[in-house]
Amino acid sequence: MELPPIRIENVTVRYDERDVLKDVNITLDERRIGIIGANGAGKSTLSRLLNGLVLPTVGTVRIGELSTKEHAKQIRREVGFVFQNPANQIIMPIVSEDIAFGLKNLGLPKNERQLRVSTTLSELGISHLSDRESHTLSGGEQQMVALASVLAMRPKTVVFDEPTTMLDLRNRLGFQREIAKLEQRAIVITHDLEILEDFERVLVVTNGQVSFDGLPQAAIDHYRAWSHA
Amino acid sequence: MSAAHNASYLSRIKPGWKFGSLLVLSIGLYLISSWQVLLVAFILSVALLASARVDLKQLRAPLISIVIILGVVFILLGIQTNWLNAVSSVLRLLTMCLLAYSVSLSTRFSEMLELFQQVASPIRVVGGNPDQVALALSMTIRFIPELKKVYNEVREAQHARGLANNPLAVTVPLVIRSLKIADETAEALDARGFDSAPANH
Repeated sequence: MELPPIRIENVTVRYDERDVLKDVNITLDERRIGIIGANGAGKSTLSRLLNGLVLPTVGTVRIGELSTKEHAKQIRREVGFVFQNPANQIIMPIVSEDIAFGLKNLGLPKNERQLRVSTTLSELGISHLSDRESHTLSGGEQQMVALASVLAMRPKTVVFDEPTTMLDLRNRLGFQREIAKLEQRAIVITHDLEILEDFERVLVVTNGQVSFDGLPQAAIDHYRAWSHA
Repeated sequence: MSAAHNASYLSRIKPGWKFGSLLVLSIGLYLISSWQVLLVAFILSVALLASARVDLKQLRAPLISIVIILGVVFILLGIQTNWLNAVSSVLRLLTMCLLAYSVSLSTRFSEMLELFQQVASPIRVVGGNPDQVALALSMTIRFIPELKKVYNEVREAQHARGLANNPLAVTVPLVIRSLKIADETAEALDARGFDSAPANH
């Protein structure tokens, strides 16, 4: 799978006169990228820039040649987003219908939608959840369904916003394995530093800026030192 | 209540036909006053429900509620009019409920939604968007259990603080958390490519 680079160029995001992100310049072209940092540092805003959920006040974000300001719809196809709380991401009352929801928005015909739903559920090993009512799922199951709903749309990049925060150890490890298996680019915002061990690159965000950009262990050391300071 | 997965012959009938027939039969039942004919209709509706291979566990609680309500209706009508009239009315209502369950439990929620979108399509003329209305409907059904969960959590938390019976102490966090859910869900809709453009798309 060819993965277009993500370019964040001179980006500042301002809310209520406050710069949440300040003059960020990075290009992301690795397959496994982690983003860590303290609460309120700007991680979530940075992640939301990647599929146009947040638009930069200054600067541009490009996925390949597409700008998030001008090509929002195409960007949503390219970059999927898994939220911290899957319960709020699941829209439809029945699991299979929820996964089909995004596909319907893409304008796919019914047959294609059904095929993609069953294939995605099977690939993630959760076919048995297909007919379950969404509100009866456990936290781990909800997170897998949220992932399935994103993967069914066949994005090239998946952004995870603290995906394991609400999971127990068993589900966390299971989810970690699923991320490792993905052929897509995975960008994971997390406080769970163990997830990042096998990643190619980790960014540390502090006070709205990328204060460190490098290999996982060095990034974690930097973040720990910053946290203790 | 809808069929997540129902493999009966009823599930293979187009939803439009099923809901249309339900409407016609319901109107027809009101034109019948003979309790004998209504009894036959009731027996047929039981047979229809039984043949629809629905999950009986799903039906237990609502049926108990209906029987209780109809019991009250039966007694009130019996006292106010006559007992034969009460029997006819209860049989009519019970038949309609069973027919409605046969239809709803053999129709997937997405099929109901598609039907609703078709039926509501004339609202485009006045600038409405049936897709948005259908989405609002499905999200209402989806989020009722979530909000109930939030309500229980808030109530439990306030109970721990000795404020379980203080309506304000429960309402304020409930509203704030509901707004947060709405905010996150709106973001999820956006991320999943839902086009909220009004009408004709």
